[in-house]
Amino acid sequence: MLLELKEKHTMRLGRSSKKELKKLIAVDSQRKKFEFPIPFTDVLKVSGKESEVVIKEDDKLGTYLLFRNKKYPVEILYKNQNRYEVLLNGVSYFFTVETPTSYKRMKFLSTKGGSKKNENLEAPMPGKIVEVLTEEGREVRAGEPLLILEAMKMQNEIQAPIAGKVRKIHVKGGQNVLKDDLMVEITAGK
Amino acid sequence: MDTNGKQFKKFLEREDKKNKQYGIDNEKKQHSKGKLSAFERIELLFDKDTFEEIDAFVTPATVTTSFGKTTESFGDGVIVGYGKVAGRLVFAYAQDFTVMGGSLGTVHAQKISKIQQMALKMGAPIVGLIDSGGARIQEGIASLAGYATIFNNNIMSSGVIPQISVIMGPAAGGAVYSPALTDFIFMTNKTSYMFVTGPNVVKEVLNEEVTNDELGGAEIHTKKSGVAHMMYEDEEHTIQGVRKLLNYVPSNNIENPPVFINPNETPDWNEKLRDVVPDDPNKPYDVKDVIYLLADKDSFFEISENYAQNLVIGFARLKGQTIGIVANQPKVLAGTIDINSSIKGARFIRFCDSFNIPLLTLEDVPGFLPGVDQEHMGIIRNGAKMLYAYTEATVPKITVILRKSYGGAYIVMNSKNIGGDFNFAWPTAEIAVMGPDGAVAVLYRRELEAAEDPDTLKKELVKTYRDQIANPYIADEKGYIDEVIDPAVTRKKLITAFEALQNKHVNRPSKKHGNIPL
Amino acid sequence: MGIKSILIANRGEIAVRIARTCKNMGIETWGIKTSNEPRAHYLSHMDKVFDLSDEYSEILVFLDVEKLMDIAAQTKVDAIHPGYGFLAENAYFAQRCINAGIKFIGPSPDAIHKMGNKTVARQIATQHEIPLAMGTTHSIRDAEEAKKVADKIGYPVIIKAASGGGGRGMRIIHKAEELAQMFRLATNEAEKAFNDPSVFIEKYIQNPKHIEFQILADSHGNTIHLGERECSIQRKHQKLLEEAPSPALTPELRKEMGDTAIRIAQAVKYESAGTVEFLLDQSNNFFFMEMNTRIQVEHPVTEMITGLDLIEQQIRIAQGEKLSLTQDQVQLKGWAIEYRINAEDVQAGFSPYLGTIEKMSLPSGTNIRIDSGIVEGDSISPNFDSMVAKLIVWGEDRQTAIKESKKALNKFWIKGLKTTIPFFRTVLENESFNCGTFTTSFIEKELDLMHESTDEEEILAAWFATLQYINEREKEATDQVDFEQGKNINPWVLNKRLKSF
Repeated sequence: MLLELKEKHTMRLGRSSKKELKKLIAVDSQRKKFEFPIPFTDVLKVSGKESEVVIKEDDKLGTYLLFRNKKYPVEILYKNQNRYEVLLNGVSYFFTVETPTSYKRMKFLSTKGGSKKNENLEAPMPGKIVEVLTEEGREVRAGEPLLILEAMKMQNEIQAPIAGKVRKIHVKGGQNVLKDDLMVEITAGK
Repeated sequence: MDTNGKQFKKFLEREDKKNKQYGIDNEKKQHSKGKLSAFERIELLFDKDTFEEIDAFVTPATVTTSFGKTTESFGDGVIVGYGKVAGRLVFAYAQDFTVMGGSLGTVHAQKISKIQQMALKMGAPIVGLIDSGGARIQEGIASLAGYATIFNNNIMSSGVIPQISVIMGPAAGGAVYSPALTDFIFMTNKTSYMFVTGPNVVKEVLNEEVTNDELGGAEIHTKKSGVAHMMYEDEEHTIQGVRKLLNYVPSNNIENPPVFINPNETPDWNEKLRDVVPDDPNKPYDVKDVIYLLADKDSFFEISENYAQNLVIGFARLKGQTIGIVANQPKVLAGTIDINSSIKGARFIRFCDSFNIPLLTLEDVPGFLPGVDQEHMGIIRNGAKMLYAYTEATVPKITVILRKSYGGAYIVMNSKNIGGDFNFAWPTAEIAVMGPDGAVAVLYRRELEAAEDPDTLKKELVKTYRDQIANPYIADEKGYIDEVIDPAVTRKKLITAFEALQNKHVNRPSKKHGNIPL
Repeated sequence: MGIKSILIANRGEIAVRIARTCKNMGIETWGIKTSNEPRAHYLSHMDKVFDLSDEYSEILVFLDVEKLMDIAAQTKVDAIHPGYGFLAENAYFAQRCINAGIKFIGPSPDAIHKMGNKTVARQIATQHEIPLAMGTTHSIRDAEEAKKVADKIGYPVIIKAASGGGGRGMRIIHKAEELAQMFRLATNEAEKAFNDPSVFIEKYIQNPKHIEFQILADSHGNTIHLGERECSIQRKHQKLLEEAPSPALTPELRKEMGDTAIRIAQAVKYESAGTVEFLLDQSNNFFFMEMNTRIQVEHPVTEMITGLDLIEQQIRIAQGEKLSLTQDQVQLKGWAIEYRINAEDVQAGFSPYLGTIEKMSLPSGTNIRIDSGIVEGDSISPNFDSMVAKLIVWGEDRQTAIKESKKALNKFWIKGLKTTIPFFRTVLENESFNCGTFTTSFIEKELDLMHESTDEEEILAAWFATLQYINEREKEATDQVDFEQGKNINPWVLNKRLKSF
């Protein structure tokens, strides 16, 4: 479970003798960033006003955050390395927690490969491929059905998320796929 | 220090020059590529202020030809030295891409070789932080000889001290074989890549367009080729990962693995374990849920998470004691053993055996993966690797059969007869030559063909098979397993059993080395 | 003859729901324990349980006519209630029950058959001059014929499975080019889902409202309706939120549609509770879509505004009783909204979210009803639908119902699963929902975000993630690794180890 949130958090990143870590940055899936100073505090500024967050736990809600007299049930659904999926009040938020250096790197790398974004379509859920509707090399528009995935006794149409060219198809009809299995690669068009 | 002292003048000048070389400009160069400087990496790896550099002031070998040029610099593009990681001695080298692209010249190679040999002499782990364009062309065959020496050291150290390679930039051509010879390879996503022949050659020879990342990026090597074990999104966390891994391994093959003081313990008795394996024998579940309930809290460090996912491997702790875990993953390919998972498992088992890390096997395996592909690509030879590795291993070996345990795969997964010290089974275990459907089809083919209602007959036969053959009690009564246990007490059983085995030693016939089917 | 015992050929919340009424009526209930969920909560509501948990079978017992007949014979029940889904609309099953002298709680096999086959239903509707969307009343054989029909009635058109229901085997075609492929997909899916590849074509009505009427009909020729339910909040033809009455209907329109619904029911000599579904276009023209010959998932909203117990009505009709009220006596009081709390990841396109309910805390109050077949510790498995519970909120008018709903949803906590609750919070804030003008394309057109999230929530989540990160890093830094202990080796093993090198 959570370690007690101490009065003041001081931490050093790695063992650098030169650099003291001054802040951490949580970056969400839309690249929106939330900065938190180190030492870490439990006082947050939202809409111009500062208030305190308290972590509490009870039998009804499990762990929750108490902020401005409102309760927000919270849990970590997934964590791996510096990636977190936080479920707060029923909604998932995806963050990577970055140090100033790794944040700079992230920004730098995203501008580098930015203009052309390719899509790798992965299976949203485990199931069986009923039919592949497209072929390698075909130009597709966004929203065009690419294949039919049967899961939970429902046939789901998997559509092209972007316009472009089908670069590679990794599945064939009748094949079973697992969640996150790569199915189709699309090269973004102009 | 008295700066006017004449004898110190030269000393200070050199210091200044060196500091300048590793100064802000050097960092900026690397940062502009999204990378950290060699020194920053070293600082991240070691405990604060513990790193001692060796051979900081050596200069590159003199080149007599006029082909290409050699930059004036101290250190010849590599920082080598030693320091403390979590308080323990660790040796390391870090290539500096800002000096002639981190290329490997004679002096550069000598430095790496020196630190490798020191690590071996001292019996301490070594970490290589790799960021190099390859052999230094100007220096010709001398560079190649340098590589050969490094490879030789890698091989001499193999199984004696833990060797970890961290790829943080390019590693191309012959250079890839040093990491390949070490125990674990870490890569940083998007800024590191490894390949024997680069995209240019691929383009020339095969006329295929491919980028560095597509050919040998971190994702490719951790998901597809299995060459690398760990991938992180940035360098700080990559190095953090290396530090974490080091906490599981001993310094050398004589020591036992380190022990955690005050581990975060999970309850020894856990009812939840009874519910992990579904009632329906064909239903998948995540074997990692079993691992999380058995191991100390947050102690599982998975290796090769994204490669051959039908077998889960990694280090964990049981009451603070380090163990290696090998587990079939019913969630992926029903937990069958295929070529890739066998290779993945075998290598991990051999690492654990080399470094006295006890092995826990969690078994739920319906068999080997059938198929023309698998047979033609040599599942026989490759499947034998894991069999060989398990049998050869002399560390304490315990198996828990969670559910399926069929056929050749049963033998492979550390069965009693190939040297499993304790083999436990859960009541959900099914141990037999093959699964019920297969067995019924083989033995009652005629009867089923002749039957009026083959489905009902088949159902009955399957039930009889389960009752009479495919259950853990027969194996228990005949002594092929040690005990059928309540899943809830598994952790406690394991702790006691590993404790009993801690002074295990096995004499093997003396030989130069075995001939593992490669 | 009165029914003294009922076999509930269903599971989950509807099994619990049926058992509740049976208990009130003093009828003994039998439930079936399956190998898929031998510890399921619904079993605890049964008087008696028939145990099949040792039998692994390919086909689920609730779909296995022979097995169910066998169980009915062994348990000697008077009647079978099929609930919804599974065999609820299977004419063959209904017939087998009758043959075995067991009451099937539902309409006659003939009515099930006629309404179950959509082309037959369309033919009957045509004969009785019920308004229908333009289209075919027979099944279409091939893509070429489909194209001819579509060209005639004009795009967009919708292809539907003749034996379909619940949104499966349905395809909307906007352009002629798409027709051939969509036709193939629809027939494939229909074949898979219903064992019958036949499909028919209708004019696709754009942005309609989905309005359905609850019918009650007894065996004495009395048929009444209990008002409508509005079920326009759907995703992929799956209803998510239903309310009664509909904000779109005037008393006149209600009467007209209600009378039409009764006419359809009478056309097939319908007995029991049933639902007639209509599409209502933006000019208030309504078209008969289909009739569901079973109890609906969303029946509670009608119960909340009529004060009737529909399951009880079904049972009473099945044992031959006359309806206890006439159309004039039907009073619609207040407003009720039902929320299907499904284990779905709204952020991942409503895909099923498998997991275990670690904690669940439900709202309560006089105007709140919760129908659920799941308790803390239960899992959502891929074998069944993903419904966790139905939350039904009643208010004196729509505004009050919405206000009360917001409160109730804020008190509905589930830990361990992702659910549709955040989605409903967004819906309740939506303007088009609040003024009642929404249509079946609500989710695609009106909602930018499928879930509500305030700035505060975002920052709190980011703060919490960062805190976790810091805690982990600090723990790593303070973790004590004892390397010395690794060097402390028992001489027994150390000597041998050294010698073996």
